[in-house]
Amino acid sequence: MDRHPNRKRIAGWVLAATASIGLLAACNPKQIDAFVKSSGGVDGLTSNLKGAFGSVDQPKEIEMGRGVAETLLGARPLHDDPALQRYVNEVGAWVASRSERADLPWRFGVNDSDHVNAFAAPGGIIIVTRGMLRLLENEAELAGVLGHEVGHVVRKHHLNAMKKGAWTNLLGAGASAATAGKGGGALVDALVGPTKELYSRGLDKDDEYEADRVGVVLATRAGYDPYGLAGALQTLGKIKGDDPYLALLTKTHPNPGQRLDRLGEAMGENFTRFEAQPRNEARFAAAVKALRTAKLD
Amino acid sequence: MIRWRWWGLATMLCASMAFADEKGFTLRAVEVKAKPFLDAAAVGKVPEKTAITVTERQGGWAKIKVGATAGWVRLLAVRLGNPDPAKNDSAFLATLGVGKQRSAAGSTAATGVRGFSEEDLTAAKPDPEQLARMDGFAVTGATAAGFAAAGKLSAQTIPYVTGDGKAEKGGK
Repeated sequence: MDRHPNRKRIAGWVLAATASIGLLAACNPKQIDAFVKSSGGVDGLTSNLKGAFGSVDQPKEIEMGRGVAETLLGARPLHDDPALQRYVNEVGAWVASRSERADLPWRFGVNDSDHVNAFAAPGGIIIVTRGMLRLLENEAELAGVLGHEVGHVVRKHHLNAMKKGAWTNLLGAGASAATAGKGGGALVDALVGPTKELYSRGLDKDDEYEADRVGVVLATRAGYDPYGLAGALQTLGKIKGDDPYLALLTKTHPNPGQRLDRLGEAMGENFTRFEAQPRNEARFAAAVKALRTAKLD
Repeated sequence: MIRWRWWGLATMLCASMAFADEKGFTLRAVEVKAKPFLDAAAVGKVPEKTAITVTERQGGWAKIKVGATAGWVRLLAVRLGNPDPAKNDSAFLATLGVGKQRSAAGSTAATGVRGFSEEDLTAAKPDPEQLARMDGFAVTGATAAGFAAAGKLSAQTIPYVTGDGKAEKGGK
């Protein structure tokens, strides 16, 4: 039994894209090796592939995102609280439905990490840590945080970042696997590398600021108090810069003060007329009650 | 009835936890209002970079206290924490109201913490079973809309905004 049914599909489109360059008819290791050489080595092949991936259509983006999400979930599994998982999906799906990509198969999950962070994978897969949920104070803040991640997906930030740079890793690993005679499955394993690299390094700061603005607008369109994300950033902003619970978030994002400065300029008084919209404190408190009362070492 | 009373108590406890006094500072000179509304009466002014205590937060507003002055200012005109973020002294655990003794003792990381560190990410192996579990929690658009209605959330129309606060072109 194949434990990685998804991988076959990813392999399919990686190879399909490769073939679509028109230089490769079949994919046995020798031919891949010859192809790499004829393409001017890995660098030449990478630039060819960049061209091939220039326009990733939606089904391909979704397959790729599922590959990314498998690795993110491999780092930390889902938190065992079905009611909470369902609640976060309800908030997230409603917020995402206010975007122009409402038709994506949106998935939201809470992982069992005590660290404070949230992640978006291409195609609409969002993972938030239970540490983040502990820190938030109401549903409008959750909507703002999920809106930020939805913003990354809507603007294809990770997809574009992977196209820009990390494919080098994919191709490097794929080509060396081919040379070693391992064949096509190893090409799919190589998707793991770019995921780790990108999610450790983080996106460009401008992508983060843009996701903040999109997140605020989506939460507002969803009928929430627009200041939820700002409230969450205020809470983050009072925590020690070197706090280990925030280490990866701190490394991969501008600091909360900088984000609040930018958000202040972007929001101005544009959102004032929406600020009486609900925050749904009670519904949020009920959903995270078990988390809040659980003992944290 | 009893259940509702407990519910009320739990809500109050949560509210009081959320609105514990927080230290902060003003980014610029601010007018302090009697109520959290733009057209509310002014009760005083506070200069920029003044240390304040935030006693309550409500949407786009923060209730602050400085000496004898108390009232509401725009949330984005103030910051929680220290003007120099490197000098923030509040730990994540203390922010949650736990682990105060631990941080006072100078220990930074608790043992047994389930992290999502760079190392955890580097060591990760793809887990398709977890992704399948995640698929199982997905909700339909109709369910999400029902959830929104139950929470008295009404869809609004507002365009995306640019960094300088203008409507993005082509936004809805």
